[in-house]
Amino acid sequence: MTEITPGSHGQGDAPPPGSPGASPNVGPVRDSVADLPSGAPTGAQRAADEAPAAVVGARRPLDIGQDIDLPAGTGAATVGTPTLLGLPGTRQAVQPAFDEHHPPDPALIGDCVHCGFCLPTCPTYVLWGEEMDSPRGRIYLMKEALEGEPLDDSMVRHFDQCLGCMACVTACPSGVQYDKLIEATRPQIERRYERSRAEKLYRDLIYNLFPYPRRLRALRGPLRAYQASRLGSLLTRSGLIRRLPAPLQAMESLAPKLGPVESVPERTPAVGQRRAVVGLLAGCVQGTFFPDVNAATVRVLAAEGCDVIAPRRQGCCGALPGHGGREEQALDFAKRTIETFERAGVDYVVVNAAGCGSNIKEYGHQLRDEPEWAERAEALARRSRDISEFIVEIGPVAERHPLPMTVAYQDACHLAHAQGIREEPRKLLRGIPGIELKPLVEAELCCGSAGTYNMLQPEPARELGERKAAAVLATGADLMVTANPGCWMQVATTLARMGERMPVAHTVQVLDASIRGVPVEQLLDRALNGPGTALTRPTPAQR
Amino acid sequence: MTAVAEPAVSDRTAALAEALRTAIGTERVLTDRTQVRTYECDGLANFKVTPAIVVLAESRQHVVDTVRLCSEAGVPFVARGSGTGLSGGALPSADGVLLVMSRLRSLGPVDADNRQVTVEPGVINLWVTRDAAPFDLAYAPDPSSQLVCSIGGNVAENAGGAHCLKYGFTVNHVLGAEVVLPDGEVVHLGGRAPEHPGYDLLGAFIGSEGTLGVATELTLRLIRVPEAVQTMLVGYHSVEDAAGTVSDIIAAGILPAAVEMMDALAIEAAEAAVSCGYPEGAVAVLVIELDGPQVEVEAQFRQVEEIARRRNAFETRIAADDAERGLMWKGRKSAFAAVGRISPSYFVQDGVIPRTKLPEVLAEMKRMADEKGLRVANVFHAGDGNLHPLVLFDDAVEGQAHEAEELAGDILELCVTSGGSITGEHGVGSEKRMKMAKQFTPADLDTMQLVRCAFDPDGIANPGKVFPTPRLCGERPGVRKGEHPVQAAGLGEVF
Amino acid sequence: MSAPAVTRRPGGTDDAVGGVVPREVVRPGTVEEVADVLRAAAADGRTVVPVGGRSKLTWAAPPESCDLLLDVTGLDRIVEHVAGDLTVVAEAGVRLGDLQAQLGEAGQLLGLDPPEDGATLGGLVSANASGPRRLRYGTTRDLLIGITVVLADGTLARAGGKVVKNVAGYDLGKLYTGAHGTLGVVVSTTWRLHPVPPARRVVTLDLPDVAAAGPLSIALARSTLTPSAVELSGTAGGPGRLVVLFESIAESVTDQARSAVALLGGGEESDDLPEDFGRRPGGADDVLLRLAHAPAALAAVLAALPAGTPVSAHAATGVAYAAVPAAEAAGALPRLRAAIAEHDGTAVVLRAPDAVRDALDHWGPVGDSLELMRRVKERFDPERRMSPGRFVGGL
Ligand SMILES: Cc1cc2nc3c(=O)[nH]c(=O)nc-3n(C[C@H](O)[C@H](O)[C@H](O)COP(=O)(O)OP(=O)(O)OC[C@H]3O[C@@H](n4cnc5c(N)ncnc54)[C@H](O)[C@@H]3O)c2cc1C
Ligand code: SF4
Ligand code: SF4
Repeated sequence: MTEITPGSHGQGDAPPPGSPGASPNVGPVRDSVADLPSGAPTGAQRAADEAPAAVVGARRPLDIGQDIDLPAGTGAATVGTPTLLGLPGTRQAVQPAFDEHHPPDPALIGDCVHCGFCLPTCPTYVLWGEEMDSPRGRIYLMKEALEGEPLDDSMVRHFDQCLGCMACVTACPSGVQYDKLIEATRPQIERRYERSRAEKLYRDLIYNLFPYPRRLRALRGPLRAYQASRLGSLLTRSGLIRRLPAPLQAMESLAPKLGPVESVPERTPAVGQRRAVVGLLAGCVQGTFFPDVNAATVRVLAAEGCDVIAPRRQGCCGALPGHGGREEQALDFAKRTIETFERAGVDYVVVNAAGCGSNIKEYGHQLRDEPEWAERAEALARRSRDISEFIVEIGPVAERHPLPMTVAYQDACHLAHAQGIREEPRKLLRGIPGIELKPLVEAELCCGSAGTYNMLQPEPARELGERKAAAVLATGADLMVTANPGCWMQVATTLARMGERMPVAHTVQVLDASIRGVPVEQLLDRALNGPGTALTRPTPAQR
Repeated sequence: MTAVAEPAVSDRTAALAEALRTAIGTERVLTDRTQVRTYECDGLANFKVTPAIVVLAESRQHVVDTVRLCSEAGVPFVARGSGTGLSGGALPSADGVLLVMSRLRSLGPVDADNRQVTVEPGVINLWVTRDAAPFDLAYAPDPSSQLVCSIGGNVAENAGGAHCLKYGFTVNHVLGAEVVLPDGEVVHLGGRAPEHPGYDLLGAFIGSEGTLGVATELTLRLIRVPEAVQTMLVGYHSVEDAAGTVSDIIAAGILPAAVEMMDALAIEAAEAAVSCGYPEGAVAVLVIELDGPQVEVEAQFRQVEEIARRRNAFETRIAADDAERGLMWKGRKSAFAAVGRISPSYFVQDGVIPRTKLPEVLAEMKRMADEKGLRVANVFHAGDGNLHPLVLFDDAVEGQAHEAEELAGDILELCVTSGGSITGEHGVGSEKRMKMAKQFTPADLDTMQLVRCAFDPDGIANPGKVFPTPRLCGERPGVRKGEHPVQAAGLGEVF
Repeated sequence: MSAPAVTRRPGGTDDAVGGVVPREVVRPGTVEEVADVLRAAAADGRTVVPVGGRSKLTWAAPPESCDLLLDVTGLDRIVEHVAGDLTVVAEAGVRLGDLQAQLGEAGQLLGLDPPEDGATLGGLVSANASGPRRLRYGTTRDLLIGITVVLADGTLARAGGKVVKNVAGYDLGKLYTGAHGTLGVVVSTTWRLHPVPPARRVVTLDLPDVAAAGPLSIALARSTLTPSAVELSGTAGGPGRLVVLFESIAESVTDQARSAVALLGGGEESDDLPEDFGRRPGGADDVLLRLAHAPAALAAVLAALPAGTPVSAHAATGVAYAAVPAAEAAGALPRLRAAIAEHDGTAVVLRAPDAVRDALDHWGPVGDSLELMRRVKERFDPERRMSPGRFVGGL
C-alpha cells in the first residue's frame, strides 16, 4: 500500500497558485510504483529535505490488482478522469488490469532503472516522441496496471502499438527482458479487454488466415474474397476498411507471381559427406509466398553437407498468434510443431524466417506450465537455429562463386534483436567473393512489418516502411537482402508505392545463387521481377 | 484559505487544458491518467508526481502558446527533454503542465567553416556528433547518457561527460539559444558569434535547470576531431596508487582527454555485466585517454605509462583498435547500471572534490561506510574530482535503506567540507535542493534568486527545484552579515 | 560602521571615468571594507563606479554619474594556489602580471592574455578582456569557476566554487563577466589553470591582403593542428601578417609548425613571438572597436571596414579589433554594424578620444534580450547606483 509523505499535497494545502511558492509537487510522493523488486530506480521513503541520491531498487512483494490509494494530489489534479476529482487519497475499486495467469513479472519490471537508453531505438518513440509509446513508458504502463490501474483504451492502444521488434532488449544496459514482459501482457489484453466488434472480427480474420498455409494459398484473389463477404461490408461501415488495402495489396502484388508452388521434397540427401541431419521449418507465410526461399534453404543445407528433412503437413509455429496475444492458439501450434520435429528425428531444426526462429527458441518458456510439454519444448528450442547461425556454426564448406554486387543487408528485428544474430548473415554474405556490404542508416530501426503489425497498425507501419525503404535506397546497393518474409513484403511494397523498384532477396537465396554459380544478372533480375517465385524453377543446369 | 478564494486546482487545470487544446491541437494535450502517469518521473525514478497536463510541443509556437497560457492562468510548467535527468529536474508539478520537448528534433545543416550547428532542443546529443562526423567535427560534451539525453536537457543541466576534463562542459559549447521566457516572450541569447554586447544571459541560462525559461533552439560549437586518440587501461593494487597516478599526470603538465577511475566493487559489477576483461585482482583501474596531434599523443602516452609504472601499476593495456577501446569504455560506461548485479539496491551519488583531496576523501568515505556496515562502489571522473559513489544496500534488511540514505547524504557533506560541490553534473533538481544550504549562504541563494526573479517573477518555470526556499520576488532580501559556512569551516578564503 | 583601513581622497581629473570626474575615490583593503563602503553608499544614495588597474577604464560608455570611485586594487591577495588542483583563488585587485609570475613558479598559468598593462582580475572579468590565446584557453567565461561579489546594498555573495566541475546553483560568474561594474563589485575570483607548455614554435606569414587570413584561418581551424593562437594584424584593404603560435612539447610544436607552413603555403618558422604580438591596433587618437562575428566571416568583416583601417584579429575565433580614425567613427560605425549584421556581427567601442566619445553609440543594437537585461539590472541594482549608464541600453 502507498503511504503519503507528509508534505506532499493534495489540492487542499497547495500554496496560492501563481506564487513562486506554489510548488505542491516538490515533496517526493511515496509511490507504490516505487515498491518493486530489485533493480528498479525505486525508492526507500525519504523526506524531501534530505533526499540524497537516486535509489535503485527496493524490494517488496506486490499484490496484483490491489486496490491502491493513489498519492493525493496526483489523482486529484488529473484532468480527464472526473471520477477522481475531489477525492484525494481514495478511489473506487476498478477491475484490475491483469489476472493471475502469468501477468508481467514485477521482478522483470523492477530491472528497469528508467534510464531511457532504449528510447531512441524504439520505432514508435522515433515516430511520435511520446513516453507512452516507448519501451520505458510501456514498462511503466505495466507497472501502473500491476498497481491496479484499469486496462483502459489508451493503455491497450499503447501496448497494441508496440511492434514487438525487441530493439529495446538489445539497447537495454540493465538487461530488462521486455520480450517476456510484452509477451505476458498481450494475452492479458486478449483475455480481459473487450475490443470493438469490428476490431475483433478483423483480428479473427487475420489470425484465422495467416497462420494457415492452405487457407492462405486458397486466397488467390484476396480483394475479391473480402469484398464479397459480409465481413467486407461490416469492415467498410466500421471504417476498418481503410486499414485493409495495404496488406491485401501487398498480397495482391505478390500473389500473381506465385506461380506453381514448388514443394520441397520431404527428404533431401546431403551433397558429399553428411555432417548433420536437419529439419526445415517451412513456415506459413514463408512457405506460401516465398516457397523458393525454402527450396534455396534446402539446397544450401544439402550443399553444406546436411540431410534435410522437411516434414509434410507443417503448420504455423505459433509466432503470429503468439505476437497477437492469442495464447491458446499459439500454444497449440507450438505443440504440433514440437511433435512434428520429434517424429522427424533431426539433430537441428533450421528456420529461415526470423519471426519463427525467435518464437521456437521461446517454446520452453511458453510451455513452462505444462509438465508434459515443458521439457520437450525446451529440448526443441535448444536444437533450433536460424539458417545463418547454423551455417556459421557448422562452418561453410561448399564453394562460393562470385556475385559481384553491392548489398544492403537489412537486419530483421526478430533476428537481430530477438535472437541477437547480426554478424552471422553479414559474415556469410561477405564470404561470397564480389559482394560488398553497404551499411544502412538507422539499421536497428524496425521496418514496420513486425508480423501482423502492418495489418493491425497500418499507419505507423507505413511510415516506418517508408523510412526503411528510403534508407535502403540511399545505400545505392544493387540488392537488398533480408531474412524475414515480413520485412521483404514490407519493403518491397513500400518501394512499389513510392514508385521505386529494387531487387530483394533472402540471405539464403544469395548463398544458393553463389553456390550454384547463378550469374549475378540473373539473381538480380529475378529478385526484382519475381518476388518469391523467380528462382523456383530449376535452372537448366540442374535439370 | 477562505472557502471561495481560489478556483480549485483541478478546475484551473481543466480550463487550461481546454485552452491548450484550442491553441495547439487536441492531440498534443494529454490529460488521460494512464498516459500522463508515464511522465511521473525522470531518471530519478523514486521521485514521482503525476502532472495534470502533458503537452507534446512540435514547434516553437506550441511552446510559446503553452507558456503564455500557463502564465495567464498562473499555472506552473516544467520542461522535459528525454527524461534521463538524475536529480528530479523534470519532476512535474501536480497542478501544472509538463512541457515535453522530444518532438522538437530538427537538426540544422552543419556549418563546417564556422564549426557550428543549430538544433532544436529535443535533438539527442549523439545525433549532433553523428551529423558532424562527415565533416570531421564532433560535439564535445559526451554524457554517458548521450545516446538518449536531449540537447535541451544538457543545456538545462550543463551536462558534462568523460571528456570534459579537456574540452569543458555544455556551457563551453553552446553559443546561442532561443528561449521562451516564463511570460511567453521569445528572446535570443548569444548567437553565432563568440561575444555579444550586454550581460551574458546565455551563461546564466545554461545550467539553470529549466527555472529560467524553455530553450527552443540552440546553436552549438563543434570541435575538430583530433588526429590521434589513444586509450589505456591501468590496473592497481591500491586506490592510493591510482589516485597518485592522476595527480602525477596533472603535475607533469599533461592534460588528458579523460581520466576515469573505478574501484574493486565497481570493477566486479562491470565485469559481471559486460565481461570487459579488466585486469584480474585490480583494486582500482584507470581508463586514461589522450588525444591530439599524433606525435604529441605518442610522446605523452609514453610519459603516462612511465608515471603509472612508478605508481606501481601491475598491468597496463593499450587499446590497439577501436574495438578494444570500445571495450575499455564499455566497462566504464556500464558500471552504473551494472552495480545492480552485485547489490539489490543502490543510491547513485554525484559530488565533487578538489582532485588533490581524492585519497583522503576516499579513505574517509570508506571509514564512514564501515561504520554503518555498508559498501560503497566508486566510479568517477578522477581527472576533475567528480565522484559518483554508489551506496549499496539491501532493502530486505531492516533499516538499511535508511542508513544508506544517510550515508549518501553524509558523503555529499564531506564533499562540501572538502571544498567541493554537491553536484558536478547531475544538477540540484528536486533531490538536492535542501543541500544547497550546506554549500551556500542565504545571501548567496538570495542573490541567485535575483536572477530568477528577473526571468520569472511569478515563479512558474519549474518551481520547487534548485533552491531550498522559493522566495517571493516582491520581497527584498535583507542585507546579510556574518560568516560564510565555508569560512566558518575554516576552508574558505578569509579576507 | 568604521572602516579604518579604507583610504579616501577627493577625486581629480586623473580619476575621470570616460570624462566623468568622481567626487571621491575610496580604496578599501578588504572584502568586508568593500561591503561597508557600499552599505554606506546605499544609505545616502551615492553612485559608485568600481575600478581595478584602470587599464580599461576607457572601455564602455561613460557613467551618468560617479559619486564614488571604488578602487579595488587594495584587494591584492593571492589567497590560495593549489597547484595539484590547477586552481587559484585571488582577490579582484591582483594584477594579472603578478598572478602569472607567481603561477609560473609552479609551471602553471591562467589562460588569459589581454595585452593591456596592469590589468587586474576584477577588471578583466568586468570588461571580459581577452587576447590571442583565447583560441586555446577560451575566455573568462571558460576559466572563471568561482566568484565573490558585493552587491549595491553591500550584500556579500558567492557563486561557483573552487572545483572545476560544479553545477550547483546559477553561475553568477557569467553574469558578472563583461558587466562593467553595473551589477555590483567583483571582489574575489577563482580560476581554472593550465600547465605552462614546455615549448613554442611560431609561423609567421606575410599577406599581401589581410582578407586572405579568412580562408587560411578556416583551413587551420578545420585541420588537426592545435595552435594556441592565430593572430592577424594589418590594415583593412591592405597587407597583413598572420602569426600562428604552437605551444606544446617540443616534438609536437616542430612537427605542427612544419605542417602549418605546408598548409598555409608558406611562412617563416621561428621560436620567438613578434614583439607586437596581440597588440590592439591604432593609437590614442583612434576609436578602438571590438568586432565579434561568426568565425568564418573574417574576410567579410575586414571588407566591411573602411580601407586603411588598422586591424587585428584573433582569427578563427570570431573576434577582431579595428582602430577607426576619430573623425570618421561616428559615420562609419552604423554602416559597419549594418554590414556585418548578417554574420551575427557586432561592433562595440572600447576606447574613444574625449572629443568624440559622447557622440558615439558605444554598444550598438543589443537585440531582443535588452528588456530582460534591464530586468536583471533592476533586480541587482534597483536604485541604479552601480556604474549607471555605462552599459548597453543605458543600463
Ligand atoms: C545512465 C545515465 C548516465 C548519465 N550520465 C551523465 C553524465 O555522464 N553526465 C551528465 O552530465 N549527466 C549524465 N546523466 C544525467 C542526464 O542524462 C543529464 O542530466 C541530461 O542532460 C538530461 O537530459 P534530458 O534530455 O534527459 O533532460 P530531462 O531529464 O528531461 O530534463 C532535465 C532538466 O532539463 C530541463 N529541460 C529539459 N529540456 C529543456 C528545455 N528545452 N529548456 C529548458 N529546460 C529544459 C528540465 O526541466 C529538467 O530540469 C546520466 C543519466 C543516466 C540515466
Ligand atoms: S534501457 Fe532498460 S532500464 Fe533503461 S529505461 Fe529502457 S528498459 Fe528501462
Ligand atoms: S518491442 Fe520495439 S516497438 Fe515495442 S517497445 Fe520495444 S522497441 Fe518499442
